[in-house]
Amino acid sequence: MTKRPLSGVRVLDFGLLTAGANTSAMLADLGAEVLKIESGAYLDPFRVVGKIDNDDGWWNRSPQFRFTNRNKRGLALNLKDPQGQRVIRALAAQCDVVVENFRRGVLDRAGLGYRDLSAVNSRIVFAAISSQGDTGPERMNVSFGSTLDATSGLAALTGYEDEEPRISGMDVNYPDQIVSLFATGIVITAIMEARRTGKGCFLDFSQREVASFTIGEEILAAAADPQRRCRRQGNQAEGIVQQDTYLCSDGRWIAVTCDSEQPDLAAFCAGHASADAVAELLMRGIAAAPCNDGNDLLQDKALAGVTLARDRRGTLVKGLPYRLDGKGIAVERPAPDLGQHTDEVLRGLLGYDDAMLDELDKSGVTSTTPTIGEV
Amino acid sequence: MSTADSLPLERFTIVEVNDRDVPLCLRLASSLAAKIAADLGATVLKVEPPGGDPVRRAPPLLPQGESALFQFLNTSKRSLLLDLATDAGRAALGKLTDTADAVLFEEPASIASLARAGRATAIEIAAFPLEMQAAHRPVSEFTILALGGLLHMVGEPDRKPLRLGGHQASYAAGLTAFTGLAAALAARDADRAAPSIRVSLAEVVQWVNWKAASGAAASGQSPGREGKRSEFQIVPCRDGHVAVVYTVTQWPATRALINDSRLDDPKFANRAGRRQHVAALYEIIAPWFADKTRAEIQVLAQAKGVPFGPIFAPAELLKADQYVARGFLADMTHPTLGALRLPQLPVQWNGRSFAPRPAPELPRPGLPT
Repeated sequence: MTKRPLSGVRVLDFGLLTAGANTSAMLADLGAEVLKIESGAYLDPFRVVGKIDNDDGWWNRSPQFRFTNRNKRGLALNLKDPQGQRVIRALAAQCDVVVENFRRGVLDRAGLGYRDLSAVNSRIVFAAISSQGDTGPERMNVSFGSTLDATSGLAALTGYEDEEPRISGMDVNYPDQIVSLFATGIVITAIMEARRTGKGCFLDFSQREVASFTIGEEILAAAADPQRRCRRQGNQAEGIVQQDTYLCSDGRWIAVTCDSEQPDLAAFCAGHASADAVAELLMRGIAAAPCNDGNDLLQDKALAGVTLARDRRGTLVKGLPYRLDGKGIAVERPAPDLGQHTDEVLRGLLGYDDAMLDELDKSGVTSTTPTIGEV
Repeated sequence: MSTADSLPLERFTIVEVNDRDVPLCLRLASSLAAKIAADLGATVLKVEPPGGDPVRRAPPLLPQGESALFQFLNTSKRSLLLDLATDAGRAALGKLTDTADAVLFEEPASIASLARAGRATAIEIAAFPLEMQAAHRPVSEFTILALGGLLHMVGEPDRKPLRLGGHQASYAAGLTAFTGLAAALAARDADRAAPSIRVSLAEVVQWVNWKAASGAAASGQSPGREGKRSEFQIVPCRDGHVAVVYTVTQWPATRALINDSRLDDPKFANRAGRRQHVAALYEIIAPWFADKTRAEIQVLAQAKGVPFGPIFAPAELLKADQYVARGFLADMTHPTLGALRLPQLPVQWNGRSFAPRPAPELPRPGLPT
């Protein structure tokens, strides 16, 4: 097999939810070996948010967690325990990249921040993904998904005509998705630079800035013209003659963009089933598409051919946002159970033996069950 | 970085081919990907058709009449006019792609086979995956958002679906293409075979919207727009609006912040209960916001670890304390347009930002700017 772009790169992944964990997942897609670090006292919140039952092992069954963390190995090491911190520093010496999206200061307090880890490994590329960035008066502010729709300017541009602003909401959490798309590319750039110079770096990502970057032309236009009005335009967009969603006779919405005015479009759609309306409009050279929902997406094998994948248990997981040589990814391993690979990795990478592993287990540094109580 | 001045991608050359008659939504994606590489130091040569990239005339416009969209998407690039309908134009492009590291182009393109044949790695931007056999289907960014399921997620359940503001389908695809480009360059840099990269806007939107598929697969029921039925709503305050957002574990802190004993009612104790009684919940919550400003609300909420989101318009972000302190907005002096202020790349590398350079003027035929 030919070497993939990131074969030989090892990632220490403290990434949580989407912003962090998906950045590491995208590095895995390109051939990196990803070691996901959690602890019994602090699980990836996706294990909890996506809880589907109360039976033993519930923390290993969350669909959101399984969706995002495929192709990783998982370790559970207590970050608050000095022995756990020593183990993580030893792992960092064997890794090329750290990805983390804790609140600022959490890893520093554990002696696992960039300064500490670059001291044991000067080649380390340390990607810190946070709500507001690592500096500035709001660096300690917390956010959750759509908080950043609001504070980035995106929500102010989203909404029905001249009504209140709108957010993407918790079933999209749009800003979390795009930060992983951007951060992955920057981390790869930094890996190249570390390979060339032998020196790592600290990458400070602000999720809010990433979201504002996606409306860059609006910020530029507002800066140049203080009179420019910010308004919600529904589905209309500047420079487009006619664009909206229309309800069809089968109760489904379709989206249409027209280069010339089509005053009868609403009536036309109301008189046609959505599939017929879309087909007819496309034939007339007008851009049209059905407003798909999740079930439509699952059934559209052409559209979801690589963006969704299945692990060997048949579980639906996240695929690729792009094609590499025309193909998607093979899911080589399902998302890890909590602490599933702790012993395997500590033996293989750090040479730990049974006695050392037993001691870590007895002292509660390693675990395979949560200690977070009832959730 | 080895020295203060060197930029991480400065040893790479990238050609961005702007073929004529390409849907604008594809152009925005390829231009964003190449812009990021250019701001990071790559030599990016933008090959424009006679008359220039139509984005040069696309809104929003600056008061001078030039396109803010073009200025944002083409920072730090050079530009060259080539008529790719002529043999001479194609020969010139062939030379460029033979010496470049990567070539970005939009599909379907008249020059696709030429661009794939050179020594540069091909990064292709399309509307749809090949399997859809829809290369010539009329398309817009908006219809892509519908197809990928994002429209279904925003708005009121009993009203029409809504798009997100800005160019989210194109830009999400542009970020994806940049990451694919970086992967290809990393492979070449390590003397490995670089994979060709193909990004379709439809696949990117579907991928970004993965919770719709995941939710539908888990329960049979697709998630969708919840509007006023959502636990997270927009509420008016004294000087604007605030997005009410909190995680399950932040509910006790949220309740303490609002400090109304009616919230102690057991029907609000868990997420299912709050969703079931969401109208009653907001009757209690909303008045707390009415007499406070966004700034006051943010300070009070953050003090309790509650992630409420004050809503800012783009113009307000120019004065946002956090952005000013971090220098996120770059001041760029354009040779004819003067001072422009715009977001720079949203990353600091060892504390360093990447200041963008002005987008190229429309070149004269055959001469790069």
